[in-house]
Amino acid sequence: MSVNLNCSLSDRNLDISQPSSQRQLAIRVSASTNADSSGAPLNLCLVLDHSGSMGGKPLDTVKKAARELVDQMYYTDRISVVGFDHKASVVVESQTLDRPESVKDKIQSLRATGGTCIDDGIKLALQEISKGKEGAVSQGFVLTDGENEHGDNARCLQFAQLAVEYNMTLHTLGFGDHWNQDILEKIADAGGGTMTYIQSPEQAGEEFRNLLRRVQSVGLTNAYLLLELPANVRLAELKPVAQVAPDAIELTMQNEGNLIAIRLGDLMTDIDRVIIVNLYINHAAVVNQSGSIPVVTAQVRFDNPVMAKSGILSTPVVVEANLVQNFQAQIDPQVQNHILALAKYRQTQLAENKLKQGDRIGAATMLQSAAKTALQMGDEKAATVLQTNATRLQSGTELSEADRKQTRIVSKTVLQAPSNS
Amino acid sequence: MITCPSCSHQNPDGATHCEACYTPLPVITMIDCPSCGASVQSDASFCGHCGFDLTAKTTAAIIQPQQEVSEPLPSPIQVPEPVSAAEPDPFQPVEITPDDLTEIITMPVSTAPTAAASPSSNPKTQLQRITASLLHVQTNVTLELPNNLQVTHLGKPNNLIPPDIDVSGFPDSDIVSRVHADIRFEGDAFYFEDTGSSNGTYINNVPLPAGNRHRLRPGDRISLGKGDKVSFIFQMTE
Ligand SMILES: [Zn+2]
Ligand SMILES: [Zn+2]
Repeated sequence: MSVNLNCSLSDRNLDISQPSSQRQLAIRVSASTNADSSGAPLNLCLVLDHSGSMGGKPLDTVKKAARELVDQMYYTDRISVVGFDHKASVVVESQTLDRPESVKDKIQSLRATGGTCIDDGIKLALQEISKGKEGAVSQGFVLTDGENEHGDNARCLQFAQLAVEYNMTLHTLGFGDHWNQDILEKIADAGGGTMTYIQSPEQAGEEFRNLLRRVQSVGLTNAYLLLELPANVRLAELKPVAQVAPDAIELTMQNEGNLIAIRLGDLMTDIDRVIIVNLYINHAAVVNQSGSIPVVTAQVRFDNPVMAKSGILSTPVVVEANLVQNFQAQIDPQVQNHILALAKYRQTQLAENKLKQGDRIGAATMLQSAAKTALQMGDEKAATVLQTNATRLQSGTELSEADRKQTRIVSKTVLQAPSNS
Repeated sequence: MITCPSCSHQNPDGATHCEACYTPLPVITMIDCPSCGASVQSDASFCGHCGFDLTAKTTAAIIQPQQEVSEPLPSPIQVPEPVSAAEPDPFQPVEITPDDLTEIITMPVSTAPTAAASPSSNPKTQLQRITASLLHVQTNVTLELPNNLQVTHLGKPNNLIPPDIDVSGFPDSDIVSRVHADIRFEGDAFYFEDTGSSNGTYINNVPLPAGNRHRLRPGDRISLGKGDKVSFIFQMTE
């Protein structure tokens, strides 16, 4: 299994009459499948909130969804289950799935009681996942319906960072309307995973299935994007790299010698990760006769769990731009859509920050910008949600907890129409 | 430095899209004032040196051929951002949205007054009220506070709170925030408030904390931003 790596500039042509140009580089990365390789087994830990507030239908549907999830896994996969209220306990110890009925019985035995302490749940999950991480794709699904009132959010994030160091991925699922979208988004971002919103109990089954499908398509893990910039190119000063698909995430970078390394985490076979790099190209560089000017050299470093190999390097891709006379903008429409996805996310974030500072009108204006951006990229569902909330704020109405969560989710992703399966 | 009209982030020179929110940035170039020949910013509404009105016909004649026609922006996002709220919103989402959505989207958020900022737009007062003015120290241009406004907004063109007094024509106006400060008239006194500017306001060389009011007295020196680069003397006439 190797890597697909594609780079496109927002506009390949640069105006020779200007001293420099700002450009965005869209980088698409996925794992490529070849016929003779099959994926590594999954090493999954379900971390389930069974606090008192989950009592009744919520916990019943979550248990049902979890049991169905077990049925969709392969017998070579590993599973473990951690339950938490204000304390955490191992419900199913890490094991290969040769006795699925006993696993499902143990899930069924969970009872709703107590408060919520997410960090203890994650801590036990890391312990269980680490028992079976060799040669596997290690993933944790953390589901909660509440604030982490018996826990410590900073500790959650430390565990999420630790998970990444051990090449495990954490996904979060917010259930109902009373969880904290800031914390769950941070855990998922730090844990290299995705955040899912389960608005009503009936959606639990489908969201579990979607997430399982995503982690089953992970072919390569622990991927880093490595960028080498020539002297005539510099990154934007503020948040120069972000992922825009499958969901919007601000990415952090570190320097490795003369390279910039950006952790991407898992690479999927059927879903592209798209990263936007915002940069300034100084035109006063050595230009060859054809007028091309170097912009960046990109490469991916990754682990292949099936072959138990780490630190594999992809073939580098060299990106160049052209200095032209009589410049006319020719924008790559696909890159433009990726940029709009990032603009939608950033504008919504700015609106949320304004709202936190009590600036309701400022928040409404910014949400309205985000709605326009969403419309421009053809994301009508997001446009409707964002605009409705902007209008609510303008009319002096508070946003409900559900409104806030929907806003966060539509800003991060392009929602697919729910399937009827 | 280019301040984003949408989120006020200060972007490095050469940016065409805001690094923070990806809103296309106004291309600010320097143009020569047709009246006195001084170099002024192309988005200014009047010349800060001689007070010449750069808006209306003049603007169209000077700016558009230079940057909007012959030099298409190298911008991947074409989000229409009106330069000032007085212009109609060119955004037309009709084909792609349900009607109700279209209706709310095209509804302007701000209903703040959009009084013209050029000094020539303040004819002599008829109502005998106290009138006040700001003398720009660096250029000796006097700006009268528009009459009958309870709150006068100071800043540069933006689509959030359009300034009643637009200082974008003055030299060094890049240190002034788009939404910088308000002057409030209450009772028979004027009060100065910084409305959350990035670089602050100094009154008689003392920083004015955001949210604090200063009762203005004739002769007060108001500096927008650091370094006493955009400074005014407050004046009152009865
Ligand atoms: Zn901005
Ligand atoms: Zn002039």
